This record gives sequence, C-alpha cells and structure tokens, in this order.
Amino acid sequence: MTPPLLRSGAPRPLRLTLAAVAVSLALTGCTSSGYPADPDGTLDSISGGTLRAGVSHHPPHVDARGAEPTGPEAELIRGFAAAHDAEVEWTVSSEESLMTALEKGDLDLVAGGLTTSSPWTSHAALTRGYTEVTGPDGEPVELAMAVPLGENQMLGALEAHLDQEGQQ
Amino acid sequence: MSGEQATGGAQRHQADLPDDGRSPSAAGRRFGATELPPQMQRVVKKAIVLEWVTLGVMALTITAVGIVMGSSQAMRAAWIEDLLSLIPPIAFLVAIRVINRPPSRNRPYGNHRAVGVGHLVASVALLVMGALLVVDSALGLITGEHPPIGTFHLFGQTVWQGWFMIGIMLLSVPGPVILGRMKLKLAEQLHDKVLYADADMNTADWQTGLATAVGVAGVGLGLWWFDAAAALFVGASILKDGLSNVATAITDLADSRARELEGTGPHPLISELEHCAQTTDWVEQAGARVRDEGHVFHVELFVVPRSAGGTAGGAGTGSHAAGARPAPVPVDVRALEELRGRIVDLDWKLEDVVVVPVTELPQEVRPSPDN
Repeated sequence: MTPPLLRSGAPRPLRLTLAAVAVSLALTGCTSSGYPADPDGTLDSISGGTLRAGVSHHPPHVDARGAEPTGPEAELIRGFAAAHDAEVEWTVSSEESLMTALEKGDLDLVAGGLTTSSPWTSHAALTRGYTEVTGPDGEPVELAMAVPLGENQMLGALEAHLDQEGQQ
Repeated sequence: MSGEQATGGAQRHQADLPDDGRSPSAAGRRFGATELPPQMQRVVKKAIVLEWVTLGVMALTITAVGIVMGSSQAMRAAWIEDLLSLIPPIAFLVAIRVINRPPSRNRPYGNHRAVGVGHLVASVALLVMGALLVVDSALGLITGEHPPIGTFHLFGQTVWQGWFMIGIMLLSVPGPVILGRMKLKLAEQLHDKVLYADADMNTADWQTGLATAVGVAGVGLGLWWFDAAAALFVGASILKDGLSNVATAITDLADSRARELEGTGPHPLISELEHCAQTTDWVEQAGARVRDEGHVFHVELFVVPRSAGGTAGGAGTGSHAAGARPAPVPVDVRALEELRGRIVDLDWKLEDVVVVPVTELPQEVRPSPDN
C-alpha cells in the first residue's frame, strides 16, 4: 500500500529544485537588454529617444501652468531623461486621464504629487517612496511616480535615479 | 438467547477494557479506549514534534515572505498560502489532544471523530489554497496582468526585489520537502489522514515556492505571463489534491467503508478480519461493517453460526430461508467473546468491535463481486 503514497518521493523535489535553479540561471544569463527586462521594452524605447512624461498640476511638486512644467518632480524627470539620452515629451492633464493613458501605453511615466498610498496600483506600477513630504492633512507622506505595470526595467531604472537624486 | 443480548455482552466487555489492567502502560498516550502499542506511542510523539517544527518553520517563512513581498500580487498569494498551511498542523495538534480522552457515558464511541473533523478542516485549507492559486493566476493571465516587481535600496545600491523573492522562495523549499516526507511515513503507520493531508499541504508549499521562484525569474526576463502560468500549473495539482482529500474526509464522516489512507481501495484489515471470522470452526458465514473513526475502526461483525447438527445443517441457516424457519441455533457467548478477542488482537486499530450473531447476513455485508 505504500507505492501510491510515496509517488511524491525525494528525488523529485531535488530534481525540480535543481531544474528551477538551472532555468533561473539560464533565463538570467541569456539576457542582453538587462535584467529584469521590460515586456514592452519601455526603457529601450526611451534610451536615445523620447520619454513621454505625463504630469498633473500639483504645487509645490509640479507647477504645470507655464509652457514647460517646473518644480522638483519635473526636474527629476528631466534628469532621468538626460541620464538616458532622451527628450521629454510633456503631457499635462488630470491624474485620471494620465493614468488611463499610462495603462494604454501612451505614456512612459506619470508624476505630480503621487504618493505611495495612491489608489492607482491596479492601473500603474508605483515606485518606492523616494522622499518624505508633508501631505495635505499635515501627516507625512512619501512621494512616488508611476510607470506602466510590469515594465520592471523601467521601474528599476527610475527607482535607482530617484534613490540618487530624489532626496529633497 | 437472542442476538441482541450477545451483542450487549460484547459491548460491556468493550466498556470494561480500560479498567481491567490488561496493559501495564496505561499512563501512555491513547486513542480513546485504544491503548497504543509502545512503537505507536513513539510515532505519535514524533508526529507531534514534527507538527510543532512545521509551525515554527512556517512562522519563519511567513515573516520572511512578509518582509520581501512588497506590492507584488504573486508574493502576496504565496504569503496567503503560507498562512493557510498553518491550518493542517493546528488541526492535527487539536485532534490528537481531543482523541486522548477515553470514551464516556455521554461519548460512548470515544472522540475519534475529531480526527475526521481535523481531516476535513485540513482538506478544505488545501482546497482553498489550490482554488485561490488557480483563480488568481487564471484571472491574471486572462486580463493580461503585468506583475510589477520593483527594487530595494540597500547600502547605497538599488537591487531588484526579484532576487530576494527568488532567494527566499528557494530557501523555503527544503523545509516542507523534508517535513512532508517524514509526515507521510508517520501518517501511514498511524493511519492518520490529518497528517496525510498535511503532508500534501507541505508538497503544495514547496511546489508553490519553486513555481514562484521560476515565475519571478521569468518575469525578470520580460515574460509577464510566466509567474501566473507557473502558479496555474501548480495550483491545478494542489486543487486536485484538495478535492480528493475533501471527498475522502466527507465520505469517512458519512460512514463509508474504511478505506486505505489515500481513499482508493477498501482497507485490507476488513477482509483480514472477515477471513479470521470465516475460518472459525463454529462460524458458517461472516461479514463486517467497518467504518473509519479516525485512527481506529468501528467494527460490527455479523456471524451466522453453524447449526448444532454440523456442517450439513448449515444450509438451513444460510441466506435462503425458504419456507418454515429452521430450529433455533444456540449461541455460545464465550465463543463470541473469544472471536471478538482474536479480532481485537489482529491490529491496534481494531478495538471497538461488536460481534452480532444472526441467522442471515445483512445484504450490505455480503461479499459482492465488485470489491
């Protein structure tokens, strides 16, 4: 009566673990465009090209009244674009229409006073909070930016940039 | 003397058992009225230690995964599954305490059913875990959900969170593999289905851990569907395990015939004890109703005694009672008790045994061609 029970025997987990490690190593080893990679190639299309950034007017973080957005978050975006030899193509709109555009793939990045407690997490990937500011109710909040869901190379690159330049 | 009186005698004998000083190790762990043989006592102790170790390992894993999971849906699912896998060990530890109580006037069958209830609870946990995985990952695939996996900022370095997830998931594999295999062995010896379901849960744990590690590695390659596909694959097998365990648990609680641990065939002890009765010289025919109370079986053995005239008269007491009833067959109570004693001695799982003399076997205990 033992054989059916012991079908899930010792060699199988061991073999599977080794296979998993091998597959993981093979997967990571054969990437040329960086690891983690973007399923839709967002960072690749930005590098040496155009960064399509969407901002909403949210002083003091973003002032979008002028011809070109200003404010610390706009500067961070310019710095990120420069680091990747990219031109910034600005879109100024409401947060909701920016998020919709980001989800459709019409934007690469959205900013404008977004925080880590933003409710947009099912539409966009939020970065880690890069700096702490005082929120509208006087409580401390952490500022974040949004990139398309699952574009993990883009997310990692932006988070690395914000880690270096984001402290206010 | 009627059959009912003889049955009553057997039950009184059963009720007297704990007090008659038959076993010197009465202070040890017991399954209700059943005193466990010393090697079984050791198995139970080992199982209890294993389950506490499991709870400890799971607590560590849950803490570690909770720290690295971030906003990742895949890791959150893995974390919820880890929480679910706490249920079977707890069910086992509760059941093993409850069944320790001997039968009483109010609980004449003992508390063995606690094991059946524990098995049902553990099976449902397994089922829910499988269903969660399947539904969650299928939805992710259908809606084209691209899992975001960000970075950590550690010592001035920005490191991809995926590495930590893969590391933690691979580290979480060996524990359940080892524990699950040890439990499977003990489950067989104890005929403990809670432990069996828990071993299945451990298998589910390490498989999910591996699948998550491979899935995250695939996501890192830019294959957004990899994590969900791996989870779906593993979830389907867990769901299947959960369904078969729930089915076994329910049919056991609904008094189906005692079956082997994995719920496939009838338990071999049934034919063994029937054979023991059938080869007794004064027995013409015998058939048993055996239900699984948890670790132990409840046995009702129906015997048709040979008539006083010898073998030839047996035809009259057989199943075809056409026409006038034959003369009454005398039943020797001591012979019934002796038969009962031999059946109890067959296996430690057989303790609650009732021997009922009848003139004709009930339909449901007659041998059928399909078993």
